[in-house]
Amino acid sequence: MTHDPGERLFGWRHAFDHPATVWIATGVLGALAGAALLIQTLAATGRLSAATRTELWRRLGSWCVMAPLFLGPVLLGAAWTIGAVALLSLLCYREFARATGLFREREVSSLVVLGILAITFACIDHWYDLFMALTPLSVVMIAAVAVAADQPRGYIQRTALGVFAFMFFGTCLGHLGYFANDTGYRPMVLLILVTVELNDVFAYTCGRLFGRRKLAPATSPNKTWAGAIGAMVLTTLLMLALGALVFEGTEINRIEHLVALGLIVSVGGQLGDLMLSAIKRDLGLKDFAATIPGHGGLLDRFDSLILVAPAVFHYIGYLQGIGLNDARRILTGG
Amino acid sequence: MSQGQRLASTAREPGLIEGIGQRTWALAMRCYLRICHRLTVHGRERLPAQLPFVLIGNHTSHLDALVLSSLVPWRLRRWLFPIAAGDVFFETPARSALSALLLNALPMRRKQAGRHALDELRVRLLQDPCGFVLFPEGTRSANGELQPFKAGLGMLVAGTGVPVVPCHLEGAFTAWPRQARLPRPGRIVVRVGTPLVFATEPNERQGWERIADVTAQAVRQLAAVPPA
Repeated sequence: MTHDPGERLFGWRHAFDHPATVWIATGVLGALAGAALLIQTLAATGRLSAATRTELWRRLGSWCVMAPLFLGPVLLGAAWTIGAVALLSLLCYREFARATGLFREREVSSLVVLGILAITFACIDHWYDLFMALTPLSVVMIAAVAVAADQPRGYIQRTALGVFAFMFFGTCLGHLGYFANDTGYRPMVLLILVTVELNDVFAYTCGRLFGRRKLAPATSPNKTWAGAIGAMVLTTLLMLALGALVFEGTEINRIEHLVALGLIVSVGGQLGDLMLSAIKRDLGLKDFAATIPGHGGLLDRFDSLILVAPAVFHYIGYLQGIGLNDARRILTGG
Repeated sequence: MSQGQRLASTAREPGLIEGIGQRTWALAMRCYLRICHRLTVHGRERLPAQLPFVLIGNHTSHLDALVLSSLVPWRLRRWLFPIAAGDVFFETPARSALSALLLNALPMRRKQAGRHALDELRVRLLQDPCGFVLFPEGTRSANGELQPFKAGLGMLVAGTGVPVVPCHLEGAFTAWPRQARLPRPGRIVVRVGTPLVFATEPNERQGWERIADVTAQAVRQLAAVPPA
Protein backbone atom coordinates (compact mmCIF):
# COMPACT_ATOMS: atom_id res chain seq x y z
CA MET A 1 0.00 0.00 0.00
CA THR A 2 1.22 3.46 -0.82
CA HIS A 3 0.48 6.85 0.66
CA ASP A 4 1.35 8.82 -2.45
CA PRO A 5 -1.91 10.34 -3.79
CA GLY A 6 -0.58 10.14 -7.36
CA GLU A 7 -0.21 6.39 -6.99
CA ARG A 8 -3.71 6.13 -5.56
CA LEU A 9 -5.24 8.24 -8.32
CA PHE A 10 -3.44 6.74 -11.31
CA GLY A 11 -1.45 3.77 -10.02
CA TRP A 12 -2.90 0.96 -12.08
CA ARG A 13 0.05 -1.24 -11.11
CA HIS A 14 -1.50 -1.55 -7.67
CA ALA A 15 -4.77 -2.89 -9.10
CA PHE A 16 -4.34 -6.34 -7.62
CA ASP A 17 -2.45 -5.45 -4.43
CA HIS A 18 -5.29 -6.63 -2.23
CA PRO A 19 -6.18 -10.35 -2.51
CA ALA A 20 -9.90 -9.55 -2.20
CA THR A 21 -9.73 -7.51 -5.43
CA VAL A 22 -8.35 -10.54 -7.24
CA TRP A 23 -11.08 -12.74 -5.80
CA ILE A 24 -13.92 -10.38 -6.69
CA ALA A 25 -12.65 -9.62 -10.21
CA THR A 26 -12.15 -13.30 -11.00
CA GLY A 27 -15.50 -14.07 -9.40
CA VAL A 28 -17.31 -11.55 -11.63
CA LEU A 29 -15.68 -12.84 -14.82
CA GLY A 30 -16.29 -16.42 -13.68
CA ALA A 31 -19.95 -15.68 -12.94
CA LEU A 32 -20.45 -14.20 -16.41
CA ALA A 33 -18.82 -17.23 -18.05
CA GLY A 34 -20.85 -19.55 -15.80
CA ALA A 35 -24.10 -17.78 -16.69
CA ALA A 36 -23.32 -18.09 -20.39
CA LEU A 37 -22.62 -21.79 -19.94
CA LEU A 38 -25.82 -22.27 -17.95
CA ILE A 39 -27.99 -20.55 -20.57
CA GLN A 40 -26.27 -22.57 -23.29
CA THR A 41 -26.90 -25.85 -21.42
CA LEU A 42 -30.51 -25.04 -20.64
CA ALA A 43 -31.09 -24.02 -24.24
CA ALA A 44 -29.41 -27.15 -25.58
CA THR A 45 -31.56 -29.41 -23.42
CA GLY A 46 -34.63 -27.56 -24.64
CA ARG A 47 -35.72 -26.26 -21.25
CA LEU A 48 -35.93 -22.65 -22.32
CA SER A 49 -38.47 -21.11 -24.64
CA ALA A 50 -36.99 -19.17 -27.55
CA ALA A 51 -38.27 -15.87 -26.11
CA THR A 52 -36.77 -16.47 -22.65
CA ARG A 53 -33.48 -17.52 -24.21
CA THR A 54 -33.23 -14.36 -26.32
CA GLU A 55 -34.11 -12.23 -23.31
CA LEU A 56 -31.51 -13.97 -21.11
CA TRP A 57 -28.79 -13.58 -23.76
CA ARG A 58 -29.67 -9.92 -24.16
CA ARG A 59 -29.40 -9.31 -20.41
CA LEU A 60 -26.16 -11.26 -20.15
CA GLY A 61 -24.77 -9.39 -23.16
CA SER A 62 -25.51 -6.11 -21.39
CA TRP A 63 -23.76 -7.38 -18.25
CA CYS A 64 -20.72 -8.33 -20.33
CA VAL A 65 -20.49 -4.69 -21.42
CA MET A 66 -21.33 -3.20 -18.01
CA ALA A 67 -19.01 -5.36 -15.88
CA PRO A 68 -15.79 -4.17 -17.59
CA LEU A 69 -17.11 -0.59 -17.55
CA PHE A 70 -17.27 -0.83 -13.75
CA LEU A 71 -14.32 -3.10 -13.05
CA GLY A 72 -12.05 -1.14 -15.40
CA PRO A 73 -12.09 2.30 -13.72
CA VAL A 74 -11.96 0.81 -10.20
CA LEU A 75 -8.90 -1.26 -11.08
CA LEU A 76 -7.18 1.54 -13.05
CA GLY A 77 -7.13 4.07 -10.23
CA ALA A 78 -9.05 6.42 -7.96
CA ALA A 79 -9.23 9.22 -10.54
CA TRP A 80 -10.89 6.89 -13.03
CA THR A 81 -13.27 5.61 -10.36
CA ILE A 82 -14.35 9.12 -9.37
CA GLY A 83 -14.67 10.05 -13.05
CA ALA A 84 -16.82 7.00 -13.77
CA VAL A 85 -19.08 7.77 -10.80
CA ALA A 86 -19.43 11.38 -11.97
CA LEU A 87 -20.40 10.19 -15.44
CA LEU A 88 -22.91 7.76 -13.96
CA SER A 89 -24.38 10.55 -11.81
CA LEU A 90 -24.70 12.90 -14.78
CA LEU A 91 -26.27 10.27 -17.03
CA CYS A 92 -28.70 9.20 -14.29
CA TYR A 93 -29.59 12.84 -13.72
CA ARG A 94 -30.17 13.28 -17.43
CA GLU A 95 -32.65 10.41 -17.45
CA PHE A 96 -34.35 11.79 -14.35
CA ALA A 97 -34.54 15.33 -15.73
CA ARG A 98 -35.95 14.12 -19.04
CA ALA A 99 -38.53 11.93 -17.30
CA THR A 100 -39.72 14.58 -14.86
CA GLY A 101 -39.45 17.57 -17.19
CA LEU A 102 -36.93 19.26 -14.89
CA PHE A 103 -34.68 19.82 -17.92
CA ARG A 104 -37.06 22.58 -19.02
CA GLU A 105 -36.07 24.60 -15.93
CA ARG A 106 -32.72 25.53 -17.30
CA GLU A 107 -31.39 27.43 -14.26
CA VAL A 108 -32.26 24.72 -11.73
CA SER A 109 -31.04 21.99 -14.06
CA SER A 110 -27.71 23.77 -14.62
CA LEU A 111 -27.26 24.08 -10.87
CA VAL A 112 -27.80 20.37 -10.32
CA VAL A 113 -25.19 19.61 -12.99
CA LEU A 114 -22.78 22.15 -11.48
CA GLY A 115 -23.39 20.61 -8.06
CA ILE A 116 -22.53 17.14 -9.36
CA LEU A 117 -19.34 18.54 -10.93
CA ALA A 118 -18.44 20.28 -7.65
CA ILE A 119 -18.98 17.05 -5.71
CA THR A 120 -16.66 15.34 -8.20
CA PHE A 121 -14.05 18.03 -7.60
CA ALA A 122 -14.32 17.56 -3.83
CA CYS A 123 -13.83 13.81 -4.32
CA ILE A 124 -10.76 14.19 -6.55
CA ASP A 125 -9.30 16.81 -4.21
CA HIS A 126 -10.02 14.64 -1.16
CA TRP A 127 -11.63 17.64 0.54
CA TYR A 128 -14.13 16.13 2.95
CA ASP A 129 -15.39 19.43 4.35
CA LEU A 130 -16.30 20.71 0.90
CA PHE A 131 -17.84 17.35 0.01
CA MET A 132 -20.13 17.65 3.03
CA ALA A 133 -20.76 21.38 2.63
CA LEU A 134 -21.89 21.00 -0.98
CA THR A 135 -25.19 19.40 -0.04
CA PRO A 136 -26.57 22.31 2.01
CA LEU A 137 -24.91 24.85 -0.28
CA SER A 138 -26.46 23.35 -3.41
CA VAL A 139 -29.89 23.22 -1.79
CA VAL A 140 -29.58 26.89 -0.83
CA MET A 141 -28.40 27.80 -4.34
CA ILE A 142 -31.23 25.91 -6.02
CA ALA A 143 -33.84 27.50 -3.78
CA ALA A 144 -32.33 30.97 -4.28
CA VAL A 145 -31.82 30.83 -8.03
CA ALA A 146 -35.27 29.36 -8.62
CA VAL A 147 -36.84 32.33 -6.83
CA ALA A 148 -34.81 34.85 -8.83
CA ALA A 149 -36.81 34.07 -11.96
CA ASP A 150 -39.83 35.76 -10.28
CA GLN A 151 -42.21 33.05 -11.41
CA PRO A 152 -43.97 31.72 -8.30
CA ARG A 153 -46.08 29.30 -10.33
CA GLY A 154 -44.43 25.88 -10.06
CA TYR A 155 -41.77 27.14 -7.62
CA ILE A 156 -42.27 24.30 -5.12
CA GLN A 157 -42.17 21.71 -7.86
CA ARG A 158 -39.02 22.88 -9.61
CA THR A 159 -37.13 23.57 -6.39
CA ALA A 160 -38.16 20.24 -4.87
CA LEU A 161 -37.28 18.32 -8.03
CA GLY A 162 -33.90 20.05 -8.21
CA VAL A 163 -33.10 19.33 -4.56
CA PHE A 164 -34.34 15.74 -4.86
CA ALA A 165 -32.21 15.16 -7.98
CA PHE A 166 -29.11 16.71 -6.44
CA MET A 167 -29.50 14.68 -3.24
CA PHE A 168 -29.74 11.39 -5.07
CA PHE A 169 -27.41 11.81 -8.02
CA GLY A 170 -24.99 14.32 -6.53
CA THR A 171 -24.75 13.55 -2.83
CA CYS A 172 -25.75 9.88 -2.63
CA LEU A 173 -23.92 8.59 -5.70
CA GLY A 174 -21.04 10.95 -4.88
CA HIS A 175 -20.34 8.89 -1.76
CA LEU A 176 -19.42 5.98 -4.00
CA GLY A 177 -16.79 8.18 -5.63
CA TYR A 178 -15.54 9.46 -2.28
CA PHE A 179 -14.68 5.89 -1.24
CA ALA A 180 -11.82 6.15 -3.74
CA ASN A 181 -9.96 8.45 -1.33
CA ASP A 182 -9.10 5.47 0.84
CA THR A 183 -5.88 3.73 -0.17
CA GLY A 184 -7.74 0.43 0.13
CA TYR A 185 -10.74 1.59 -1.90
CA ARG A 186 -10.61 -1.07 -4.64
CA PRO A 187 -11.90 -4.06 -2.68
CA MET A 188 -14.43 -1.87 -0.81
CA VAL A 189 -15.97 -0.32 -3.92
CA LEU A 190 -16.02 -3.66 -5.72
CA LEU A 191 -17.63 -5.25 -2.67
CA ILE A 192 -20.42 -2.67 -2.70
CA LEU A 193 -21.01 -2.94 -6.45
CA VAL A 194 -21.03 -6.74 -6.41
CA THR A 195 -23.24 -7.14 -3.33
CA VAL A 196 -25.72 -4.51 -4.52
CA GLU A 197 -26.06 -6.02 -7.98
CA LEU A 198 -26.21 -9.60 -6.68
CA ASN A 199 -28.79 -8.49 -4.11
CA ASP A 200 -31.05 -7.59 -7.06
CA VAL A 201 -30.37 -10.97 -8.65
CA PHE A 202 -31.08 -12.77 -5.34
CA ALA A 203 -34.35 -10.91 -4.87
CA TYR A 204 -35.41 -11.73 -8.42
CA THR A 205 -34.46 -15.40 -8.18
CA CYS A 206 -35.97 -16.02 -4.71
CA GLY A 207 -39.09 -14.17 -5.78
CA ARG A 208 -39.44 -16.33 -8.88
CA LEU A 209 -38.81 -19.54 -6.93
CA PHE A 210 -40.78 -19.01 -3.71
CA GLY A 211 -42.65 -15.74 -4.11
CA ARG A 212 -46.31 -15.67 -3.19
CA ARG A 213 -47.20 -12.63 -1.12
CA LYS A 214 -46.68 -9.28 -2.79
CA LEU A 215 -44.37 -6.80 -1.10
CA ALA A 216 -45.76 -3.56 -2.49
CA PRO A 217 -48.20 -4.40 -5.27
CA ALA A 218 -49.15 -0.80 -6.01
CA THR A 219 -45.52 0.28 -6.41
CA SER A 220 -43.92 -2.71 -8.06
CA PRO A 221 -46.22 -5.68 -8.75
CA ASN A 222 -43.40 -8.21 -9.28
CA LYS A 223 -41.71 -7.81 -5.89
CA THR A 224 -42.55 -10.41 -3.21
CA TRP A 225 -41.80 -10.92 0.47
CA ALA A 226 -39.99 -14.15 -0.32
CA GLY A 227 -37.73 -12.27 -2.73
CA ALA A 228 -37.02 -9.56 -0.17
CA ILE A 229 -36.26 -11.94 2.69
CA GLY A 230 -34.32 -14.36 0.51
CA ALA A 231 -32.17 -11.49 -0.74
CA MET A 232 -31.54 -10.29 2.82
CA VAL A 233 -30.35 -13.75 3.89
CA LEU A 234 -28.22 -14.44 0.81
CA THR A 235 -26.70 -10.96 0.63
CA THR A 236 -25.78 -11.10 4.31
CA LEU A 237 -24.13 -14.49 3.79
CA LEU A 238 -22.28 -13.12 0.77
CA MET A 239 -21.17 -10.11 2.82
CA LEU A 240 -19.90 -12.41 5.57
CA ALA A 241 -17.81 -14.34 3.09
CA LEU A 242 -16.52 -11.47 0.92
CA GLY A 243 -16.40 -8.91 3.75
CA ALA A 244 -14.07 -11.14 5.77
CA LEU A 245 -11.62 -10.99 2.86
CA VAL A 246 -12.02 -7.29 2.15
CA PHE A 247 -11.87 -6.08 5.74
CA GLU A 248 -9.31 -8.55 7.00
CA GLY A 249 -7.32 -7.06 9.90
CA THR A 250 -9.62 -4.06 10.37
CA GLU A 251 -12.24 -2.99 12.88
CA ILE A 252 -15.12 -3.99 10.58
CA ASN A 253 -14.08 -7.64 10.36
CA ARG A 254 -16.43 -8.83 13.09
CA ILE A 255 -19.55 -10.85 12.57
CA GLU A 256 -21.94 -8.22 13.92
CA HIS A 257 -20.52 -5.50 11.65
CA LEU A 258 -20.54 -7.69 8.55
CA VAL A 259 -24.12 -8.78 9.25
CA ALA A 260 -25.07 -5.13 9.70
CA LEU A 261 -23.37 -4.24 6.39
CA GLY A 262 -25.13 -7.10 4.63
CA LEU A 263 -28.49 -5.90 5.92
CA ILE A 264 -27.73 -2.29 4.99
CA VAL A 265 -26.86 -3.32 1.44
CA SER A 266 -29.87 -5.61 1.07
CA VAL A 267 -32.50 -3.36 2.62
CA GLY A 268 -31.02 -0.17 1.15
CA GLY A 269 -30.77 -1.75 -2.26
CA GLN A 270 -34.34 -2.96 -2.28
CA LEU A 271 -35.67 0.33 -0.92
CA GLY A 272 -33.75 2.20 -3.60
CA ASP A 273 -35.29 -0.07 -6.19
CA LEU A 274 -38.78 0.53 -4.78
CA MET A 275 -38.14 4.25 -4.55
CA LEU A 276 -37.36 4.50 -8.26
CA SER A 277 -40.36 2.26 -9.00
CA ALA A 278 -42.54 4.68 -7.07
CA ILE A 279 -41.12 7.59 -9.05
CA LYS A 280 -41.79 5.75 -12.32
CA ARG A 281 -45.33 4.88 -11.22
CA ASP A 282 -45.96 8.46 -10.27
CA LEU A 283 -44.75 9.60 -13.70
CA GLY A 284 -46.58 6.81 -15.50
CA LEU A 285 -43.44 5.30 -17.05
CA LYS A 286 -42.29 1.73 -17.46
CA ASP A 287 -38.58 2.39 -17.89
CA PHE A 288 -36.58 5.61 -17.66
CA ALA A 289 -34.89 5.03 -20.99
CA ALA A 290 -33.70 2.29 -23.33
CA THR A 291 -29.97 2.72 -22.80
CA ILE A 292 -29.16 -0.84 -21.68
CA PRO A 293 -30.75 -3.65 -23.73
CA GLY A 294 -32.84 -5.90 -21.48
CA HIS A 295 -32.54 -3.61 -18.47
CA GLY A 296 -34.05 -0.26 -19.47
CA GLY A 297 -32.33 2.98 -18.56
CA LEU A 298 -29.24 3.45 -16.43
CA LEU A 299 -31.49 4.47 -13.55
CA ASP A 300 -33.47 1.24 -13.82
CA ARG A 301 -30.23 -0.67 -13.35
CA PHE A 302 -28.40 1.42 -10.76
CA ASP A 303 -31.33 2.59 -8.64
CA SER A 304 -30.30 0.20 -5.86
CA LEU A 305 -26.91 1.92 -5.45
CA ILE A 306 -28.39 5.31 -4.61
CA LEU A 307 -29.36 4.61 -0.98
CA VAL A 308 -26.68 2.00 -0.30
CA ALA A 309 -23.65 4.18 -1.13
CA PRO A 310 -24.09 6.80 1.64
CA ALA A 311 -25.35 4.27 4.21
CA VAL A 312 -22.36 1.95 3.80
CA PHE A 313 -19.99 4.93 3.56
CA HIS A 314 -21.04 6.36 6.89
CA TYR A 315 -21.18 2.95 8.61
CA ILE A 316 -17.59 2.23 7.63
CA GLY A 317 -16.62 5.85 8.15
CA TYR A 318 -18.00 5.84 11.69
CA LEU A 319 -16.20 2.66 12.67
CA GLN A 320 -12.80 3.13 11.05
CA GLY A 321 -12.83 6.27 8.92
CA ILE A 322 -12.37 6.54 5.15
CA GLY A 323 -9.28 7.99 3.55
CA LEU A 324 -7.65 8.86 6.87
CA ASN A 325 -4.28 7.49 5.84
CA ASP A 326 -3.96 9.45 2.62
CA ALA A 327 -3.04 13.07 1.83
CA ARG A 328 -5.97 15.52 1.95
CA ARG A 329 -6.79 18.44 -0.34
CA ILE A 330 -4.41 17.32 -3.05
CA LEU A 331 -5.27 20.14 -5.46
CA THR A 332 -6.23 22.99 -3.15
CA GLY A 333 -3.66 22.31 -0.44
CA GLY A 334 -4.45 23.00 3.18
CA MET B 1 -37.03 4.98 -28.50
CA SER B 2 -33.46 4.97 -29.78
CA GLN B 3 -31.27 8.04 -29.64
CA GLY B 4 -31.55 8.46 -33.42
CA GLN B 5 -35.35 8.34 -33.31
CA ARG B 6 -35.39 10.79 -30.44
CA LEU B 7 -33.24 13.26 -32.36
CA ALA B 8 -35.45 12.97 -35.44
CA SER B 9 -38.70 13.29 -33.48
CA THR B 10 -40.86 16.37 -33.98
CA ALA B 11 -41.51 16.38 -30.21
CA ARG B 12 -37.82 16.82 -29.39
CA GLU B 13 -37.00 19.50 -26.83
CA PRO B 14 -33.51 20.90 -26.32
CA GLY B 15 -31.77 20.08 -23.02
CA LEU B 16 -28.64 21.49 -21.40
CA ILE B 17 -26.16 19.98 -23.84
CA GLU B 18 -28.15 21.05 -26.89
CA GLY B 19 -28.54 24.48 -25.31
CA ILE B 20 -24.79 24.89 -25.02
CA GLY B 21 -24.24 23.58 -28.56
CA GLN B 22 -26.88 25.86 -30.04
CA ARG B 23 -25.67 28.93 -28.21
CA THR B 24 -22.09 28.36 -29.31
CA TRP B 25 -23.20 27.77 -32.88
CA ALA B 26 -25.48 30.83 -32.85
CA LEU B 27 -22.66 33.05 -31.59
CA ALA B 28 -20.30 31.71 -34.24
CA MET B 29 -22.96 32.25 -36.92
CA ARG B 30 -23.67 35.81 -35.76
CA CYS B 31 -19.95 36.63 -36.12
CA TYR B 32 -19.69 34.82 -39.45
CA LEU B 33 -22.76 36.52 -40.95
CA ARG B 34 -21.64 39.94 -39.77
CA ILE B 35 -18.05 39.59 -40.96
CA CYS B 36 -18.36 37.57 -44.17
CA HIS B 37 -21.81 38.68 -45.31
CA ARG B 38 -22.14 42.13 -43.69
CA LEU B 39 -25.68 41.09 -42.76
CA THR B 40 -28.07 44.05 -42.87
CA VAL B 41 -31.61 43.80 -41.48
CA HIS B 42 -34.46 46.14 -42.35
CA GLY B 43 -37.64 46.11 -40.29
CA ARG B 44 -36.37 44.01 -37.39
CA GLU B 45 -38.87 45.85 -35.15
CA ARG B 46 -41.71 44.06 -37.00
CA LEU B 47 -40.73 40.71 -35.49
CA PRO B 48 -43.28 39.65 -32.86
CA ALA B 49 -41.94 39.89 -29.31
CA GLN B 50 -43.67 36.70 -28.23
CA LEU B 51 -44.17 33.14 -29.39
CA PRO B 52 -45.73 31.61 -31.38
CA PHE B 53 -44.83 32.87 -34.86
CA VAL B 54 -43.62 31.50 -38.17
CA LEU B 55 -40.80 33.16 -40.10
CA ILE B 56 -40.92 32.52 -43.82
CA GLY B 57 -38.74 33.64 -46.68
CA ASN B 58 -37.51 32.99 -50.18
CA HIS B 59 -35.22 29.95 -50.27
CA THR B 60 -32.11 30.19 -52.39
CA SER B 61 -29.33 28.92 -50.16
CA HIS B 62 -28.36 26.93 -47.07
CA LEU B 63 -27.59 30.27 -45.42
CA ASP B 64 -31.27 31.27 -45.37
CA ALA B 65 -32.31 29.40 -42.23
CA LEU B 66 -29.19 30.57 -40.39
CA VAL B 67 -29.89 34.18 -41.35
CA LEU B 68 -33.57 34.11 -40.35
CA SER B 69 -32.79 32.32 -37.06
CA SER B 70 -30.19 34.95 -36.21
CA LEU B 71 -32.90 37.65 -36.31
CA VAL B 72 -34.69 36.19 -33.29
CA PRO B 73 -33.59 37.40 -29.83
CA TRP B 74 -31.78 34.87 -27.70
CA ARG B 75 -34.49 34.42 -25.07
CA LEU B 76 -36.80 32.99 -27.75
CA ARG B 77 -34.15 31.06 -29.64
CA ARG B 78 -34.51 27.97 -27.49
CA TRP B 79 -38.04 27.52 -28.77
CA LEU B 80 -37.27 28.47 -32.36
CA PHE B 81 -37.14 25.48 -34.66
CA PRO B 82 -36.08 25.67 -38.29
CA ILE B 83 -38.18 23.13 -40.18
CA ALA B 84 -35.70 21.12 -42.22
CA ALA B 85 -36.07 18.48 -44.90
CA GLY B 86 -36.16 15.17 -43.04
CA ASP B 87 -34.79 13.33 -46.06
CA VAL B 88 -31.61 15.43 -45.99
CA PHE B 89 -30.96 16.78 -42.51
CA PHE B 90 -32.22 13.73 -40.61
CA GLU B 91 -31.14 11.02 -43.02
CA THR B 92 -28.47 9.45 -40.81
CA PRO B 93 -28.05 9.48 -37.02
CA ALA B 94 -24.91 11.62 -37.37
CA ARG B 95 -26.73 14.25 -39.44
CA SER B 96 -29.69 14.13 -37.06
CA ALA B 97 -27.32 14.76 -34.17
CA LEU B 98 -25.79 17.81 -35.86
CA SER B 99 -29.15 19.20 -37.00
CA ALA B 100 -30.57 18.79 -33.50
CA LEU B 101 -27.50 19.82 -31.54
CA LEU B 102 -26.49 22.91 -33.52
CA LEU B 103 -29.49 24.05 -35.57
CA ASN B 104 -32.36 22.96 -33.28
CA ALA B 105 -34.04 21.80 -36.50
CA LEU B 106 -37.20 19.70 -36.63
CA PRO B 107 -37.68 17.27 -39.50
CA MET B 108 -40.39 17.35 -42.12
CA ARG B 109 -40.53 14.40 -44.48
CA ARG B 110 -41.15 16.08 -47.81
CA LYS B 111 -42.34 12.92 -49.54
CA GLN B 112 -45.17 12.52 -47.05
CA ALA B 113 -45.81 16.11 -46.08
CA GLY B 114 -49.53 15.50 -45.95
CA ARG B 115 -51.93 17.01 -43.55
CA HIS B 116 -51.32 14.38 -40.89
CA ALA B 117 -47.55 14.79 -40.87
CA LEU B 118 -47.95 18.51 -40.37
CA ASP B 119 -50.58 18.15 -37.65
CA GLU B 120 -47.93 17.28 -35.05
CA LEU B 121 -46.07 20.46 -35.87
CA ARG B 122 -49.29 22.50 -35.91
CA VAL B 123 -50.25 21.28 -32.45
CA ARG B 124 -46.79 21.94 -31.13
CA LEU B 125 -46.69 25.44 -32.60
CA LEU B 126 -49.81 26.36 -30.64
CA GLN B 127 -49.32 24.41 -27.44
CA ASP B 128 -45.65 24.90 -26.53
CA PRO B 129 -45.82 27.59 -27.96
CA CYS B 130 -42.84 27.82 -30.26
CA GLY B 131 -41.51 29.51 -33.36
CA PHE B 132 -40.77 27.99 -36.75
CA VAL B 133 -38.50 29.06 -39.57
CA LEU B 134 -39.66 27.58 -42.84
CA PHE B 135 -39.48 28.07 -46.56
CA PRO B 136 -42.84 27.55 -48.29
CA GLU B 137 -41.17 26.91 -51.67
CA GLY B 138 -40.21 23.53 -50.23
CA THR B 139 -36.70 23.54 -51.65
CA ARG B 140 -33.91 25.88 -52.67
CA SER B 141 -34.50 27.74 -55.90
CA ALA B 142 -32.17 26.69 -58.73
CA ASN B 143 -31.98 30.14 -60.33
CA GLY B 144 -32.56 32.47 -57.41
CA GLU B 145 -36.11 33.35 -58.54
CA LEU B 146 -39.07 32.85 -56.20
CA GLN B 147 -40.82 29.51 -56.82
CA PRO B 148 -44.54 28.90 -56.18
CA PHE B 149 -45.37 28.43 -52.48
CA LYS B 150 -46.63 25.02 -51.35
CA ALA B 151 -49.67 24.37 -49.17
CA GLY B 152 -47.69 23.22 -46.10
CA LEU B 153 -47.50 26.66 -44.51
CA GLY B 154 -51.30 26.90 -44.66
CA MET B 155 -51.67 23.53 -42.95
CA LEU B 156 -49.74 24.92 -40.01
CA VAL B 157 -51.40 28.30 -39.54
CA ALA B 158 -54.86 28.27 -41.20
CA GLY B 159 -57.54 29.15 -38.67
CA THR B 160 -55.07 30.06 -35.93
CA GLY B 161 -53.91 33.39 -34.57
CA VAL B 162 -50.25 32.55 -35.24
CA PRO B 163 -48.58 35.45 -37.07
CA VAL B 164 -46.64 34.63 -40.22
CA VAL B 165 -43.73 37.00 -40.75
CA PRO B 166 -42.72 37.30 -44.41
CA CYS B 167 -39.03 38.01 -45.00
CA HIS B 168 -36.98 38.51 -48.11
CA LEU B 169 -33.31 37.63 -48.36
CA GLU B 170 -31.14 39.27 -50.96
CA GLY B 171 -27.60 38.18 -51.74
CA ALA B 172 -27.83 34.69 -50.26
CA PHE B 173 -28.13 33.15 -53.73
CA THR B 174 -24.93 34.82 -54.91
CA ALA B 175 -23.16 33.85 -51.67
CA TRP B 176 -24.08 30.17 -51.74
CA PRO B 177 -26.09 29.01 -54.76
CA ARG B 178 -27.39 25.50 -54.97
CA GLN B 179 -24.60 24.42 -57.30
CA ALA B 180 -21.74 25.56 -55.03
CA ARG B 181 -20.19 23.30 -52.43
CA LEU B 182 -19.16 26.09 -50.08
CA PRO B 183 -20.34 29.66 -49.44
CA ARG B 184 -18.29 32.66 -50.43
CA PRO B 185 -18.36 36.11 -48.86
CA GLY B 186 -20.95 38.57 -50.13
CA ARG B 187 -23.41 41.05 -48.72
CA ILE B 188 -26.79 39.72 -47.51
CA VAL B 189 -29.76 42.02 -46.90
CA VAL B 190 -32.91 40.86 -45.09
CA ARG B 191 -36.18 42.74 -45.18
CA VAL B 192 -38.74 41.82 -42.55
CA GLY B 193 -42.37 42.42 -43.52
CA THR B 194 -45.51 43.05 -41.50
CA PRO B 195 -46.82 39.90 -39.76
CA LEU B 196 -49.90 38.33 -41.37
CA VAL B 197 -52.60 36.44 -39.45
CA PHE B 198 -54.91 33.86 -41.02
CA ALA B 199 -57.37 33.34 -38.18
CA THR B 200 -60.42 33.17 -40.47
CA GLU B 201 -58.98 30.99 -43.24
CA PRO B 202 -60.46 27.47 -43.22
CA ASN B 203 -57.97 24.68 -42.57
CA GLU B 204 -58.54 23.03 -45.96
CA ARG B 205 -57.24 23.14 -49.52
CA GLN B 206 -58.85 26.51 -50.44
CA GLY B 207 -57.56 28.21 -47.32
CA TRP B 208 -54.07 26.78 -47.77
CA GLU B 209 -53.90 28.02 -51.35
CA ARG B 210 -55.04 31.51 -50.40
CA ILE B 211 -52.42 31.60 -47.64
CA ALA B 212 -49.76 30.49 -50.13
CA ASP B 213 -50.82 33.28 -52.53
CA VAL B 214 -50.97 36.02 -49.92
CA THR B 215 -47.61 35.14 -48.34
CA ALA B 216 -45.86 34.72 -51.69
CA GLN B 217 -47.21 38.13 -52.69
CA ALA B 218 -45.91 39.63 -49.42
CA VAL B 219 -42.41 38.23 -50.02
CA ARG B 220 -42.45 39.50 -53.61
CA GLN B 221 -43.42 42.98 -52.45
CA LEU B 222 -40.53 43.00 -49.99
CA ALA B 223 -38.20 42.06 -52.85
CA ALA B 224 -39.43 45.06 -54.82
CA VAL B 225 -38.74 47.57 -52.03
CA PRO B 226 -35.70 49.67 -52.98
CA PRO B 227 -32.85 49.53 -50.44
CA ALA B 228 -33.30 52.13 -47.70
